[in-house]
Amino acid sequence: MTAEEIIEKLKASLPDAIQDTALPQGDAVIFVAPENLQEVAGFLKNDASLKFDYLSDVCGVDYLIEEREPRFETVYLLYSIDHQHSIRIRVGIDEENPSVPTVSELWKGALYPEQELFDMFGIHVEGHPKMERLIMPKEWVGHPLRKDYPLTTETVAFSHNRDYKSELVKSKPPTR
Amino acid sequence: MSVTEQGLLERDKDTMTLNMGPQHPSTHGVFRVILEMDGEVVRTAEPEIGYLHTGIEKTSENKRYGHVIPMTDRLDYLNPPGNNLAFCLATEKLIGVEIPERAQALRVIMCELSRIASHLVWLGTHALDIGAMTVFLYCWREREMILDLNEEISGVRMMTSYIRIGGVAKDSTRPWLDGIRNFIDYFPAKVDEYEKLLTKNPIWVDRTQGIGVLSREEAINWSLSGPALRASGVNWDIRKSQPYSGYEKYDFDIPVLKGGDIYDRYRVRVEEMRQSRRIIKQAMEKLPTGDFKAPDNKVSLPPRETLHTSMEALIHHFKLVSEGISVPKGETYVPIEGARGEVGFYIVSDGTNVPYRVKLRAPSFMAIPGMCQMMTGCYIADVVGIIGSIDIVMGEVDR
Repeated sequence: MTAEEIIEKLKASLPDAIQDTALPQGDAVIFVAPENLQEVAGFLKNDASLKFDYLSDVCGVDYLIEEREPRFETVYLLYSIDHQHSIRIRVGIDEENPSVPTVSELWKGALYPEQELFDMFGIHVEGHPKMERLIMPKEWVGHPLRKDYPLTTETVAFSHNRDYKSELVKSKPPTR
Repeated sequence: MSVTEQGLLERDKDTMTLNMGPQHPSTHGVFRVILEMDGEVVRTAEPEIGYLHTGIEKTSENKRYGHVIPMTDRLDYLNPPGNNLAFCLATEKLIGVEIPERAQALRVIMCELSRIASHLVWLGTHALDIGAMTVFLYCWREREMILDLNEEISGVRMMTSYIRIGGVAKDSTRPWLDGIRNFIDYFPAKVDEYEKLLTKNPIWVDRTQGIGVLSREEAINWSLSGPALRASGVNWDIRKSQPYSGYEKYDFDIPVLKGGDIYDRYRVRVEEMRQSRRIIKQAMEKLPTGDFKAPDNKVSLPPRETLHTSMEALIHHFKLVSEGISVPKGETYVPIEGARGEVGFYIVSDGTNVPYRVKLRAPSFMAIPGMCQMMTGCYIADVVGIIGSIDIVMGEVDR
């Protein structure tokens, strides 16, 4: 199916669950609220003509600097091996107690990237069997890929270009 | 005969925890796995990653687009041009720039050479893990030729950064093209030689056949990709299904096998080396003439000689070097077929010269849970074989 057909079909089948759709550079993109994610994901996987059986990745984005509501977003990249088409699900997540339901019951490949979401963005994935740090050490404080987490806090003894470097760091200083 | 069906669960408390890695030579980097052993049999395998975390995604959010490319080399350090290409394709998709045919062909040659080099490293180390020393030396000998070619074209042996936004870093040179012609004539006999050493070798077959099996459905569900997925009977190669850089113009086959075990992964990769050589041969035969980078001076640097005569070229040169490329607002994802599977960059741009978010879809990272799934129920001696057969690179796992 082409990207337009996929979006048309989703709009017709799940009119309440889909918030918005877009076609940037010809890719099918749908916007879904966190509470509807599992319903939409289940439909995408199990519908015979869509059959998105392969989860490429789950990405997190922090839109703090853009100052848009909601602050966080998780992006699910899906692909159908039989039909050779793809779709992106974008899920906006509020700043207060960020949480999103898991899709790992549909695609086991989501277990690792969802754990990374928690590690790097502090987004709690509901229903995930192992909600703990993946890449950072267990005792680490903060979530490195958030935009209010500075690029570096390491003190360097001798640095001739410290001012230049602090210019480069666009992030706001940490609040803690 | 499945090992788990031998009444092992009866002796419930009689297990031993065995730590493997991160300083284990067979884990191919700093991968750590905590094995719960029941005698010689693995009950559970708990992966532990993060020892090579370098924060490349975070650093990328503070660098200009052009400056991200050398960092992508260091993600999957055995297949740098593949990472370069994935990042450049995603950026180019946002900018909407057309890449000249010659640049596309040079990109394909570079990527396929590096796929061969990467598979040679895999074959050598994988065979060494299982106990075949000679193959390792042979593979390194051929890989050396590819590294010399890399040095000729880019000045660097491994971290080439050859593929740039808008094209490639420089045009092909005569010694490079001659070297590739030599290599494609020389290489097929060498692949046969590796196969002679391994494919029907009873020790190799005993150690690999029927071990680490993952069915078609499981492999898809665990998000395996590339050769590991094709060895489980899934006919999916991004070069065929979503062609990029002119792959649709080349005639090549996708090896697909049904066993899903270590042996089939080995045979898929060996056949892929032959197919890559075929692609390089065709690309060399019909290497188009023309530019090696897009003529759009907002994206790629103007030719050096025009700087002395053209004011616009000088301004463009200055702006590109001092400011970098400004990418229109938007977000995109482009997958390519790397040596280990689907490599893709999800890029969010806020309209400036610095990417807002860069996310790598790393095939090794996604394959680790599935790999540990394969380990449950196998013998301890087969764990190294399974790790080797998935061909993980920790640079892209921890990023």
